Amino acid sequence: MLCEKCQQNEATVHLTDIANLKKREYRLCSECARIHGVSIQAQLQKFKSLTLPDFFAHHFHESDTEQAESPPESCPRCKMSYSQFRRDGKFGCSHDFTVFRSTLEELFKKIHDSSQHIGRTPSCFREWSEDQEEDSHQVQLDELREELKRAVRGEQYEKAAEIRDQMRLMGRN
Amino acid sequence: MYLGDFKEPVGEWLRGEGSEADLVISSRVRLARNLTDVPFTTVANDRQRAEVADRIQDSLDTLRPGLSLKIQHLEELDDVEKLVLVERHLISRELAMASGPRVVAHDETESFSLMGNEEDHLRLQVVKSGYRLEEAWQQMDHLEKAIDSELQFAFDKKFGYLTACPTNVGTGLRASVMLHLPAMMITGKIEEVNRAATKLHLAIRGLFGEGTEAQGDFFQISNQRTLGETEEKILQNIAEVLPKILSYERTLRGQLFEQRKEWTEDRVGRAFGILSHARVIQSKEALDHLSLMRLGVSMGILQDLTMDQVNRMFLYSQPGHLQAIDGQELSPAERDLKRADLLRKILSE
Repeated sequence: MLCEKCQQNEATVHLTDIANLKKREYRLCSECARIHGVSIQAQLQKFKSLTLPDFFAHHFHESDTEQAESPPESCPRCKMSYSQFRRDGKFGCSHDFTVFRSTLEELFKKIHDSSQHIGRTPSCFREWSEDQEEDSHQVQLDELREELKRAVRGEQYEKAAEIRDQMRLMGRN
Repeated sequence: MYLGDFKEPVGEWLRGEGSEADLVISSRVRLARNLTDVPFTTVANDRQRAEVADRIQDSLDTLRPGLSLKIQHLEELDDVEKLVLVERHLISRELAMASGPRVVAHDETESFSLMGNEEDHLRLQVVKSGYRLEEAWQQMDHLEKAIDSELQFAFDKKFGYLTACPTNVGTGLRASVMLHLPAMMITGKIEEVNRAATKLHLAIRGLFGEGTEAQGDFFQISNQRTLGETEEKILQNIAEVLPKILSYERTLRGQLFEQRKEWTEDRVGRAFGILSHARVIQSKEALDHLSLMRLGVSMGILQDLTMDQVNRMFLYSQPGHLQAIDGQELSPAERDLKRADLLRKILSE
């Protein structure tokens, strides 16, 4: 198909122009498209002008009513309010993620198509997680030990054997 | 003189080495990190920012045995010095223009750099010339682990690394390759790449990254998503699409040379002619001609010119470098004169 403007080159750009609620479509060659400002540079300019607050304004519009019922509180540490976060599109401190948590899942899904991190973790967090795991493992073992004692005292030998096996299994892991 | 502080004439990103260096200018990985117990730079006061800068400086001692690091406080630099750092891709325009305590650290080769108190407390960057994204990541992996052992980063089990902007949350990783795609621009095929990249959740940006216009046929392709994918997968997404883009550009270059040989030679020759003889030239015009000359060198049209000359012209004709070379601040009109002088001088080497 030939370009609608110059009628010489092949049309490679399909332009949809919506102005005054009227939609018009053009098929242009790359040179005419460039003359009319339809180029990757023009697109990049548009991209440049789309700020995160615009994104918020657009993407949160549909859920405004729902959120208006219970807007999250302001962050007690950095004093960032939820409306300020929405206006500026920037968090104020790491605690904001806890305070605004209920709304963030939806936001991250819209931006990243996911709200669950699966990448690397910092060393302090790894150590903390391992400590947590070890602590909870120890608590479970202590509980089972007490339960075993109670079972032996109550002469519930079958139950005691089960608990003992469970403890051995945990010890191995 | 400002440029005397740099060991390398053009820095890592313009060195012109590495795989596919005729099309891929450089590969870059950037990580965003924040400290757990200080408000983000977006709301921190000067005292808190100074504390962050101090803690960063202390932590960098862990990297010193392996890296010769130069650490500078931006509030102590003049505007030209800051502009030079921007043009060498060591700091962002945002960091240069901000106020308050800010730090930049970089190694001698300008491959690794760290910005303190940018939008996030730490922005770590590793750049390699050519297509060496994996190598850049390996170095980053090592450096980030070293800093991580000294500083406690803000992290959430669900959301990952916590950053000031929601678009960086998760891995905090932005991986990008800077491409020179003149044949795609000439033939108008760049739109196809743009469409394909968007579908694959990759973004196309200009020469200086986020929010900048594409200039002189130079484009950055980077990941849009930072959450929900591992660092390796983010790199893999770019690695999967890049060979197709490069192969397409090469095919188009071949077609240009076969089907429009004289026309291509004419455009390259005119660019060479203008830069060899111009007495006054603006930055954008110079960049457009340099792009064509770069194409001319890689296609063998300009056989007496080297890529090193083109790269030096590219960097030194930018406003900060021009003023640094001249040793004084220059008005835009004065810069246009100096730029033309400098380009002629390099071309006559």
